[in-house]
Amino acid sequence: MSNKALASGLGNCPQCRKLNVMYTEKQACSRCKTVFCARKPNSIEYTLAWTIAALVMFIPANIYPMMVFYSLGKPDASTILEGIAIFIQMGMFPVAIIIFIASFVVPLGKIIGLFTLMYNAKKPTKLTLKQQGKLYHLVEFLGPWSMLDVFVVAVMAAVVNLGFITSIEVASGISYFALMVVFTIFAAESFDPRLLWDNHQKQHHNTVTSDRKYKNTDD
Amino acid sequence: MSHSSINNMLACHQCDSLLPMPLLSEGQKAYCGCCGAALFSKKIDAINRTIAVATAGLLLLLPAILLPIIGIGAAGIYNDASLVDCITVLIDTRNYIIAFAVFMFTIAIPTVRLFTALYISLSIKFNRTKPSLLVFFRSYHLLDTWTMIHVFFMGVIVSMYKLSSLADMTIDGGLFSLVLLLLCSTLVSVTMDQHSVWHKLEQALE
Repeated sequence: MSNKALASGLGNCPQCRKLNVMYTEKQACSRCKTVFCARKPNSIEYTLAWTIAALVMFIPANIYPMMVFYSLGKPDASTILEGIAIFIQMGMFPVAIIIFIASFVVPLGKIIGLFTLMYNAKKPTKLTLKQQGKLYHLVEFLGPWSMLDVFVVAVMAAVVNLGFITSIEVASGISYFALMVVFTIFAAESFDPRLLWDNHQKQHHNTVTSDRKYKNTDD
Repeated sequence: MSHSSINNMLACHQCDSLLPMPLLSEGQKAYCGCCGAALFSKKIDAINRTIAVATAGLLLLLPAILLPIIGIGAAGIYNDASLVDCITVLIDTRNYIIAFAVFMFTIAIPTVRLFTALYISLSIKFNRTKPSLLVFFRSYHLLDTWTMIHVFFMGVIVSMYKLSSLADMTIDGGLFSLVLLLLCSTLVSVTMDQHSVWHKLEQALE
């Protein structure tokens, strides 16, 4: 199955997925008129830039408080991890687990996953192509779910507004958090999964000389 | 490679393998033999179903945005909030980034997406295709990742759980509209047959 579109001088339109004959490096799709290249240009560089930006945003998102809880005029600010600790103390384990996964494990896992994918697109690793493809799908699928905490804070701030008794105010940490989530989505969008297969093929051309053996391992 | 044979082939968007164009009957789905990625599927009665679901979604839009979703009461004071209230509160407290994000991901993008789905389906149903439809349908593709009503709904559920321990909480009509809007927005992705829409647009505009 080494028959790739790129090797045949063909390119797949990223929008409508029509197969095009690539006359030049960059051209408009014959069906939907999107201008595209056979591979996203500088895909790894863009992904790396967005991922580093997301990683940088992850730091203030965890240092600064997400929301300030006013109870009888007394302010009580809490960051993501402090908020989770409060839930555990109150014995609300399901919410604690959901928030911990959605706002700490998933963003960090996504950033690590993106770094793994970028490394896999450049160097041979122990991960099989199937696993790499699954990892890419996971990173893509998880994209919007990290916004959960942002929406929770937005809803809480709007609903809990009972004047002096209790009110919740949005704090600066949530802005950094939202930016981080958007940056990771951009990073996943700019990554071209076809590079994983290209790299795999290139590695095998270097190591395996027999064509027959090559065909067996590619499956 | 000649121009006629290229129309009978496709390349996997994930691993770039060249494959012959599969001939599917309604309800079937094609996967890449090399990497297992879902290539495309042929949906049953796609145009009519998309029109129905998108119309329902657009009708539910206003109640979902304007009606209060949840409210709390304590010590004789009562306060509730709708989706628009969430955004205005964020703007009042100068959290413009969050306000913009919430507005785009829960109101603007789902609206444009539903409208685009309805417009394209109607145009194809009544054979009124024009080149501008290409731009519309491309935007539909782009906005797919950025619709976050389902995440917002999950956020409302988590907030409800948090608030139920804090004060007396009430559920209002906005929540039901939101659930139905979420259903419609998700169903549009299910009923919309992107492959055949592109194919029809290509044939009509040639």
